[in-house]
Amino acid sequence: MKLSSVGCVYVRVKCNDDDTIGDLKKLVAAQTGTRADKIRIQKWYTIYKDHITLKDYEIHDGMGLELYYN
Amino acid sequence: MANRTDPLAKSIRGTNPQNLVEKILRTKIYQNTYWKEQCFGLTAETLVDKAMELDHVGGTHGGNRKPTPFMCLVMKMLQIQPDKEIVVEFIKNPEYKYVRILGAFYLRLTGTDVDVYRYLEPLYNDYRKLRFKSNDGKFTLTHVDEFIDELLTKDYSCDIALPRIKKRWTLEAIGSLELRRSALEDDFEEEEEKDEDDQLVDGLDSGDNDKDYYRARSPTREKDRDRKRDGHRYRDRDYDRDRDYDRDRDYDRDYDRDRDRERDREGRERDRRDRDRGRRRSHSRSRSRSRDRKDRDGDDRRRRHRASSSPKRPEDRDEQPKKKKEKKAKKDDGTDHPDPEIAEQNRIRASLGLKPLKL
Repeated sequence: MKLSSVGCVYVRVKCNDDDTIGDLKKLVAAQTGTRADKIRIQKWYTIYKDHITLKDYEIHDGMGLELYYN
Repeated sequence: MANRTDPLAKSIRGTNPQNLVEKILRTKIYQNTYWKEQCFGLTAETLVDKAMELDHVGGTHGGNRKPTPFMCLVMKMLQIQPDKEIVVEFIKNPEYKYVRILGAFYLRLTGTDVDVYRYLEPLYNDYRKLRFKSNDGKFTLTHVDEFIDELLTKDYSCDIALPRIKKRWTLEAIGSLELRRSALEDDFEEEEEKDEDDQLVDGLDSGDNDKDYYRARSPTREKDRDRKRDGHRYRDRDYDRDRDYDRDRDYDRDYDRDRDRERDREGRERDRRDRDRGRRRSHSRSRSRSRDRKDRDGDDRRRRHRASSSPKRPEDRDEQPKKKKEKKAKKDDGTDHPDPEIAEQNRIRASLGLKPLKL
């Protein structure tokens, strides 16, 4: 389970740790109604790349990420 | 200053033409080096020179979504708003395909519905390759006509939301557009005529062939399949046995090929399998399949009867386990999880093409 937020938008998403960031973007897009390719997930200037899994980024349960739009 | 639209420019779709590009993308383009260096003070003529230097099409790429020069030039065109004649010239020129694509893209953004269809549809005949830079920065291969098809059918391309245009059939119904004439229509007609000629020629070889062929085409054949097929096949076999063995093989092959083509077109896999089995039966000497051995046991007529019914049973047996497996796979999707929240999540994941949640 991950948390993302941008400004006042708070999105809580359930996913596996072998999902990629791209999959996470798709789930967030499904929840916010934007397009998946418009979403950017960052953590303090580190832009997370689409093809790497959450496990490799060491994103654990309950962690918060920043959600920006492209 | 440099980013303001030409004050003489008309507003497009009720807004500043530059607003056709979204705010975030617009800001990125203004901050782009290519825009600042090359696109400063461009006019319609100098824009052509820049467009001729283009070597790839694309939207934005990379982590921070850097726009491509193509995007910058589209933005510049929106800013200076060249006349329609100039844009049509861009589209009509045959040598520089990227200039063509640039003109087509601009027209798709700014032109009226009728104009869009009228000027972009001839580009369906252009089969040249294009280099397309995708979102992850890699180049992929596409073609001019594929790109034009995307422009005309989808509502998003190169990171710009394309304005809505009426569907073609709406415009045809109103009468603003004529029915679409594909450039391949003549080729299709030729092909159809050639097919008909081929069939006539094969039909002349034997009268039986014609009968089979017509039967193949008729839609009611499916229903009468067992009865009729047994009858004529038996007759067919007797007839064949009377002729030369070689000739039999050749024409059977042709006849099967034609029938195969018909079958493929009508998508009846089972018939083809049966006929292949039939073909094999007539030519192969050694058969080790138990099914065929069973069939070999009767005389021709009994063989025919079994030929019609026995294929069904193994296939039924094949289909049922497959169906059971499919049902099982659906359950594995997790969409029937007791917890409704998780079931809902799994449903969304399945619709996106992701595996279910691991818990």
